[in-house]
Amino acid sequence: MDLLAQVLINGVLLGGLYAVMALGLALVWGVLNIVNLAHGAFIMLGAYLAWYFYAYLGIDPFIGLPLTAIVMFCLGYVMQRSLLNLIVRAPMFNTLLITFGLEVVLTYLAQLFFSADFRTINPPYAGNSIAIGPLVVPLVRLMAFAVALVLTLGMWLFLLHTKLGRAIRATAQNLVAARLYGVAPRHLYAVTFGIGIGLAGAAGSLYGTVSQINPYIGATLTAKCFAISIIGGLDNPLGVLVGGLVLGIIESLTVLYVGATFGDVASFGILVLVLVIRPSGLLGKTA
Amino acid sequence: MRVLRIGLILAVTVVLAALPLFGSDVLIQFGINTLLLAVLAQGWNIIGGYTGYASFGNSVFYGLGSYGVGIAMVQWNLPFAAGLILGGVLAIAFAFLLGIPVLRLKGHYFAIATLALAQVMSAIVSNVSIAGQNIGLVLPPLNNDYLFYELSLGLLIIATLTVAWLTRSRFGFGLIAIRENEEGAAVMGVNTTLYKVLAFALSGLFTALAGGIHAYWITFIDPESAFDISLNVKMIIMTVFGGPGTLIGPVFGAFVLSAISEVLSSEVTNVAGLFFGVVVVAAVVLMPRGIADVMRHFRSSGWRYFIENLRAHRI
Repeated sequence: MDLLAQVLINGVLLGGLYAVMALGLALVWGVLNIVNLAHGAFIMLGAYLAWYFYAYLGIDPFIGLPLTAIVMFCLGYVMQRSLLNLIVRAPMFNTLLITFGLEVVLTYLAQLFFSADFRTINPPYAGNSIAIGPLVVPLVRLMAFAVALVLTLGMWLFLLHTKLGRAIRATAQNLVAARLYGVAPRHLYAVTFGIGIGLAGAAGSLYGTVSQINPYIGATLTAKCFAISIIGGLDNPLGVLVGGLVLGIIESLTVLYVGATFGDVASFGILVLVLVIRPSGLLGKTA
Repeated sequence: MRVLRIGLILAVTVVLAALPLFGSDVLIQFGINTLLLAVLAQGWNIIGGYTGYASFGNSVFYGLGSYGVGIAMVQWNLPFAAGLILGGVLAIAFAFLLGIPVLRLKGHYFAIATLALAQVMSAIVSNVSIAGQNIGLVLPPLNNDYLFYELSLGLLIIATLTVAWLTRSRFGFGLIAIRENEEGAAVMGVNTTLYKVLAFALSGLFTALAGGIHAYWITFIDPESAFDISLNVKMIIMTVFGGPGTLIGPVFGAFVLSAISEVLSSEVTNVAGLFFGVVVVAAVVLMPRGIADVMRHFRSSGWRYFIENLRAHRI
């Protein structure tokens, strides 16, 4: 019973992190109608950025998180403005291909500049944990979970209540109408993509503190983010949070009861299953 | 013009077939790799180029073909041909079993579902004892590159002839109709589910046979290399670069890109990955319909062709 509770706690903590990872992908997908296959590679990049900030400048990953996010936002903004705006109205196949190409380029550059070695961000408190009765809650994971919750709720409030957030939602619903009401789509698309990549960067810094990073983690993370977006739907950051928690818990349970190598199998199996049963997502409205 | 083109293709085929007579060992090995990649591109062309379903999971078929040969030869002591048949049967069975649910999905959903399948296959096969788990299988060596070269070339010719048949058969027109407008095709009486699954199976069959030949040539397979996801990268980029939905485009793309990446790799180690990525980004922006389309329009519109493509889909 204790074991099950412990696994559930691990799953929930992992799920919060997954939610932040998927948040950017779901936002970009919902607003720009681009499934960014390079999303995982951007998470990887954010993780390395946080690692460098910590290893060379001594900036704590949790304090450096906004910095990483801002740098990644700028990268995303420039990338959308200069490159992706060119193909944003192209057929789905082309947008998939171009982000796929970006993924290959980013992975290669990471391997070139960061080497293929495994790295972890290890702040001095990395080994600490909080004991609740027989259960152990690793401090770093708890902090990552808390940041993840704050970011998700922040995103939700931002989209709901700020002028920019409303403009983004309006564009997602109807580009032409949004344009008539004075939204400048090139800038707005770039801002949206920038926010998506900034979130990927934030997720990357969190990921680097709880897990090992190497240049090749991108593709798997992209597929997981996609699975979460499918489960949670694209309309609402809170749906993504639910999707992340579901995936985190299922993965942890599978690792415990079936075997360590089956964690990814379970999450992707669920992805395929959900896609086949309800292609618009479990919580999403009809696409 | 038509006679000229067929003559040219025949001449190239003859030269390719005769290459082992005068080529060096290195050239023949490069040739085997390139020919097999061209088969993969041509196989992807059937499902991705003609049917319009962007599969990011064709590497699964490649792995099944490799393991078909591996299991038949190592575990059951059967001849190579039986292994190829086993690999082909596995691929077709997979295409039917998973194709029926997955091919109901459209666009992004299909692409990501296949990507996810590709990512889990190596984890699953690592737990199958007959497949040697995560250690892999060592096949009996056959030191005859000449044979492997001609086998690969033969497979590429069959694959290309099959695609040529697609361009003029009822089945092929059905696939193109699905690509252009699936609901329209269904209304016109195309059994879309059957056609899509058959296209998936055909694509998978060629991919599996290429995997089988490669496995026997390399004499070693393990889950990581047999279900290598980066193969999807290569087959898709080669097809898109050459021209998806054309007969010769994917083969041409495979030859050109393999040659360039080989030259690059000999200069700078492992730069090929970067090269493939840059090529696909540039190709999507500048020539989304591939070299085949560039050749068709470059003479009339010149450099404007690229600028028109740049402007076509921007916001």
